[in-house]
Amino acid sequence: MALIFGWPLLRYAWLSGHADSVLTGLVPVANGGANWLRLLSDQRFWVDALQTARFGVVSVGIELILAMAIALLLDQRWRGRGAVRALTLMPWALPTTMMALGWRWIFNTPYGPIEQLAGSLGAGPLNLLSAPSLTWLVTVLADVWKTTPFIALILLAGLQTIPDDLYGAFRLEGGTSVQALRRITLPLLTPYILLSLLFRLAQAFGVFDLIQVLTGGGPAGSTESLALYAYLNAMRFLDFGYSATVMLGGFVLLMALIGLGALILRLSGLIRPLQT
Amino acid sequence: MTLELRSINKRFGDRDVLRNLDLSVADGECVALLGPSGCGKSTALRLIAGLDDPDQGSISINGENVVAIPAERRRVGMVFQSYALFPHLNVRKNLELGLRIRGSRAAERDERISNILEVLQLQNQAEQLPSQLSGGQRQRVALARALLRDPLVYLLDEPMSNLDAQLREELRPELKRLMIGGSQPVVYVTHDQQEAMALADRIALMRNGRIEQIGTPQELYHRPETVVVAQFIGRPQMNLLKPQNGVMVGIRPEDIRLDQQGVSCRLLSREWHGASQMLLVESERGPLRIVCAGDQTISEQIQVNWERSDEHQFDLDSGRRLSD
Amino acid sequence: MRRHSAWIVLLLIWSLAPMLWQLLTSFTTSAALVDGSIPFLQRWTLNHYRELLSSNPPFWRYLANSSMLAAMSTVLTTLLAIPAAYALTKIPKQWRQPVRFVVIAAALFPYVLLFLALLELARQFHLGNSLLALALPYSALQMPLALLLLTAAIEGLPVDLDDAARLEGLSLRQRLRWVMLPLIAPATASTAILVFLFAWNEYPIALTWLSRSDLLTLPVAMARIAGSSIYSVPYGAYAAATVLGAIPLLVLVLLFQRQIVRGLTNGAIKG
Repeated sequence: MALIFGWPLLRYAWLSGHADSVLTGLVPVANGGANWLRLLSDQRFWVDALQTARFGVVSVGIELILAMAIALLLDQRWRGRGAVRALTLMPWALPTTMMALGWRWIFNTPYGPIEQLAGSLGAGPLNLLSAPSLTWLVTVLADVWKTTPFIALILLAGLQTIPDDLYGAFRLEGGTSVQALRRITLPLLTPYILLSLLFRLAQAFGVFDLIQVLTGGGPAGSTESLALYAYLNAMRFLDFGYSATVMLGGFVLLMALIGLGALILRLSGLIRPLQT
Repeated sequence: MTLELRSINKRFGDRDVLRNLDLSVADGECVALLGPSGCGKSTALRLIAGLDDPDQGSISINGENVVAIPAERRRVGMVFQSYALFPHLNVRKNLELGLRIRGSRAAERDERISNILEVLQLQNQAEQLPSQLSGGQRQRVALARALLRDPLVYLLDEPMSNLDAQLREELRPELKRLMIGGSQPVVYVTHDQQEAMALADRIALMRNGRIEQIGTPQELYHRPETVVVAQFIGRPQMNLLKPQNGVMVGIRPEDIRLDQQGVSCRLLSREWHGASQMLLVESERGPLRIVCAGDQTISEQIQVNWERSDEHQFDLDSGRRLSD
Repeated sequence: MRRHSAWIVLLLIWSLAPMLWQLLTSFTTSAALVDGSIPFLQRWTLNHYRELLSSNPPFWRYLANSSMLAAMSTVLTTLLAIPAAYALTKIPKQWRQPVRFVVIAAALFPYVLLFLALLELARQFHLGNSLLALALPYSALQMPLALLLLTAAIEGLPVDLDDAARLEGLSLRQRLRWVMLPLIAPATASTAILVFLFAWNEYPIALTWLSRSDLLTLPVAMARIAGSSIYSVPYGAYAAATVLGAIPLLVLVLLFQRQIVRGLTNGAIKG
């Protein structure tokens, strides 16, 4: 484990101080801080960082809200609940790459069902995969579709740990069910929400499969993520030194983001339950 | 067979759980370790079993020091408070596991298991999982497992605390018949003084890692050595009168009787228990609990009295009994 | 029930419609995919499936590769994780919290970032183009999650059980074999399923480690179809591939959803 997680980071740190590309014949040559200076002034890196953050925050936000609704629905007692739960889990189990291409077909212009529907309503063509303002939303949708069930299940498990008596007691106090959601469900669910938030943000930050297959980072780089940029640096431009720098830089940004989030949560007093 | 603990010390972190504990249990004797939670009684049991090691002191079974012998080979039969039945094995397999590990042959195993199942009236439950059994049945399986261990010592850790009161009373004679009174020493941990009095030959009352007093139930009841013992043994609790001249006087509620010439009291409340009733009254010597016959009629103002010889006198500072 | 049914239907449509569309596409002729005017009865075909199974290498090859890789990763992870998790529950108290923190951090780590260094390792030790070797990083990447799930399961066992087994005369090895292993079997099952799903779905590392076309795993093979050309993706054949590739997973999820859910939530929250 140390080998797989620790070594790469050290290796990246080392590589990021070296030029290691076709120009050097793929032999690492020390170049001081040149890679890092390049990173700071590399507009594509910062644009990608913003795009990645936008993708992560928006999709995780939508996922949490949707997942909460689904979890509440699945927490009720009704016949066939088990089967529905299993069916909703399916999107999560499918390989991202597999479904990414499926999405490409569904959002295809002009033959995909969405465009056909839009066309018949007189709104088309939307050019869902070639209009920068829309395409990133398509990637968000694809991600939301795949990972919402996962969060919903974690939240559902959380819901099921809340004893029914609490709701009974709250109703006897005169509380409505909406108030119960706000005063009982959400506070007791906090650790579960934080957990999925952290887990999903970290994952969304490394988004790669989906983007690479669904849009290839396009149109015009408008959906490119940091992981994809690092990948392109290494595998297409064969610049390993800079690829390592991009990854480390991205990692530092992620840590900063999580640190900032944790700080906000701690200041607002929400993080306490996680540590029990 | 005998069991002997000599100056046992045990610390967990910076907390002394047992301090200089001595205890000897004679052949076939049942000693109850009685005390509030956290007094070290369960730790003492775990040390005897070998599940924890003492920091100091010796534990001997039949005169042989067993501290170095691991729990696996110490030959003690233990009944856990949680019963600790293996949830993935049915009753028969639960009982069989240990026998098989210890190398008993198949035919012998079957015979012993069917015997014990019969003795404990569990024949119909043999193929059921622990989760399918009632509390009392689980408890009997746990007893059966301990019996099949052929132990040198029986250790019982609050074996009945998870059962309801009625079941406890039903199981007590059974326990006595099966484990207590054989040749093995029995150590019985409980926080229920009634249970301890009903089952044990001697009771060791523990507090803060020490034995406060050890003796027969009668000795503890009639001659408590300290205030703590006096307050712990006997229900309702012994009354402690307002101290005078550094002496605290205790008098048991059942030793107080109504008497026109006695101390006058005002009735605060009364609980009727059928054959008896308990009165709580306020007197010039402090509040008193009184037990009297259930059919006695009680007015708001009563006079009570007791024999001087029924008084227990304790030193106010040390809490120790003053010799009478 | 009545009150919820609209929402339930909506939920099911949301979850299943994209997959059903793929299913539908896989049975639609290529011509009908781009021409809505073809009469209904002439739109259907099995050709996409025939094509897939007769291509070179045949599609079932990828399925076999993925199955083998996933199975090996699962076995390897489980075999290593069980003793490791047991050891983790026995380390001294003051170490437990930091170790757990490291394990959680590793489990949360976006592993995509590791691909470059892993690729270097593969080159260094000539591990590329070997499914067996690919199982190594897969196991390592899933080890943190497996450890979380299994330590939570082991710590969840009542202490009394281990003590009772000792008093019954069981040695450490016997206790592990007869008491602990059977009791953590559910957690082991959920761990195994999660590892299996991961290995089946993993993309970036497989993409960079494998180049021989007869060794590709399913995700890589499919992405390769996509990458062949932006404009002329054979969507019909592709949809058929999706359906075939999805079936094993869907069966797995349907059969084991209970374990998956329990495993995930236990490990996640207690850990």
